Amino acid sequence: MRRAAEGLAIPVAVLAVWEALSATGVLPRYVSRPSAVGAELSQLVGSGDVVQHAAVSLYRSMAGLAIGALSGVVLGLLSGSIRAFAVFFDPLVSFTNPVPKIAILPVLIVWFGITDTSKIVLIAITTFYPCFIAAYAGVRQVQPAWIWAARNMGARADQVFRKVIVPAASPHILGGLRIALALAFILMFASEAIGTAHRAGLGYLVIFAESGGRHDLMLAAITAIGLLGFAADRLLLLVARRVLRWQPEVFRA
Amino acid sequence: MIVEVERVSKEFARGEQRVLAVDDVSLTVAEGEFVTIVGPSGCGKSTLLHLLGGFLEASSGTMRVDGNVVTRPGPDRGMMFQDLALFPWRTVSGNVGWALEVQGRPAAERVQVTDRYLQLVGLRSFKNAFPHELSGGMKQRVALARVLAFDPAVLLMDEPFGSLDAQTRELMQEELQRIWATTRKTVLFVTHDIDEAVYLGDRVIVFTARPGRIKADLAIDLPRPRPIELKKSPAFFEHRNRVWDLLREEVLRARDEESA
Repeated sequence: MRRAAEGLAIPVAVLAVWEALSATGVLPRYVSRPSAVGAELSQLVGSGDVVQHAAVSLYRSMAGLAIGALSGVVLGLLSGSIRAFAVFFDPLVSFTNPVPKIAILPVLIVWFGITDTSKIVLIAITTFYPCFIAAYAGVRQVQPAWIWAARNMGARADQVFRKVIVPAASPHILGGLRIALALAFILMFASEAIGTAHRAGLGYLVIFAESGGRHDLMLAAITAIGLLGFAADRLLLLVARRVLRWQPEVFRA
Repeated sequence: MIVEVERVSKEFARGEQRVLAVDDVSLTVAEGEFVTIVGPSGCGKSTLLHLLGGFLEASSGTMRVDGNVVTRPGPDRGMMFQDLALFPWRTVSGNVGWALEVQGRPAAERVQVTDRYLQLVGLRSFKNAFPHELSGGMKQRVALARVLAFDPAVLLMDEPFGSLDAQTRELMQEELQRIWATTRKTVLFVTHDIDEAVYLGDRVIVFTARPGRIKADLAIDLPRPRPIELKKSPAFFEHRNRVWDLLREEVLRARDEESA
C-alpha cells in the first residue's frame, strides 16, 4: 500500500497542477482538463461503450500475442536445442527482425482485408520475435552441468528437454513475454488507427474522437489503453513471480 | 572388481593442437572401496571421472563398471559434480527425487526414498526450500542425497567440497565418512586437497602432471571410523607427507613446463 501511495504521488501532483492551470485559463482550451477526461471515461464505462471497444481490442491483441508467443517460444526452444532448427531460424530471425512490422500491414490488408485477421496476424508476427529470441537465448544459457546431471540420473532426451531446458530457460522466456505483451498493445493501437471494419476498438475510438475534435474522449480512450496495458503487465508479473519463485531476485516490481 | 579401467587415454583437440589429458591409465576398484585421486590442477583427474561417467568418450582403452562397458551416462554411476549442478527451479526434495521421477517410479516410493536420504544428510526440515535458500554446506548435502537416492553402484565425486570454507569442508568430510559407513558405496573421489584424500581414502592414487598418469597407488591403513582428530596423529602425518612429497615433484614439474 505504501509503495502504491509513493508511486502515485507524482502523477497525482501533475494532474492537480494540470487541472489548476486549465481552470485558471493558463492552458489553452484544446488541452482537455483531467476532470473532463475523467468524466468522459466514467461516462464511457457507464454506457458500456468502452467495455465493447476494449473487448474487441483485447481479442485482437491477445489472439495475436497467443499465436506469436506460442510459436516464438516453441521455435526458440527447438532452435536452441536442435541444430537443424537453429541453422534455419537463426539467420532468418536476424535478417527479418529489424524490419518494422507495421510496414507489412498494407500487405496483410491486401491479403486479409481490413479485418481482425490482418491485425491478429500483424500482432502475431511482431510478438514472435522477442519470444523467439528470449527462448533461444534461454536455452543457450542452460548450464551444461544440468544436462549432464540429468543424463546421469537416467533422463531420456525428451525428459531433458521438458524437465531441464524448459524450466532453466523460463526466466528468459518470461522476460521475452513481457516485451511481447507491450508490443501487442502498441501494434493493436497502430493497426486499429490505420483502419477498422466494424468501428470497434480503442484505437479506432482514439482516431474517431480526434477527427471529431473530441479531445476529452480521445484522452479517455488513450487512458483506457494505458490502464488495460498496465493491468495486463501486472498480471504477467504476478504469474512470473509465481512461476519463478525459485529465483529470488527477478521480476520484483 | 566393480570398476575396471584398462589402458584408457583421452586426447582433446585444442585448435590445431592435440592435448593428451589422460595417458594410459589402468585402475581397478573393489566393491565398497573408497578411492581418492589427487594430482596437480589440470592433470586430467576430473577428465578420468567424466570418462567413467560416460560424458566423454575415451580415445583408447576400455572401462567397465559392474561388468558393463561404459559407453554413455547412466544411473549405475552417480556423479557428484564440482559445481553440484543442483536444479535451482526444484525444491530440495524435488532435486533428491528427480532421478526416481524420470525413471518412472511410483510417487509413494519417491517420497519414501527422498525422505530417507534427506534424513541421512540431516535436511528433512528443509525439503521444501529452494537451493538458493541454502548455505554452501547444505547444498553439498542435497547433492549427496540426490546422487545416493538413485542407488548407483559407484559414486563418482569430482572435487565436491572444493568451494567450501575450511571448517565446513572438514564437517562435510566427517559427514561423508559417516554416510559412506552406512551405505558402503564404492567411491571414486577426486580432490586436490592432500589431507582430504588421506582422511577419506582406503587408497590414495597420485596423478602426474599433464598428461595424467598414475604415479603412485598408496594404501591408507588408518582404522575406521576415523575421527577428525586423526588428522593430528603421527600415522596420519606419515601418509600425508608421503603423498605430499610425491605431489610436490609433480607440481614443480607442471610449473616448469608452464614457464618453459
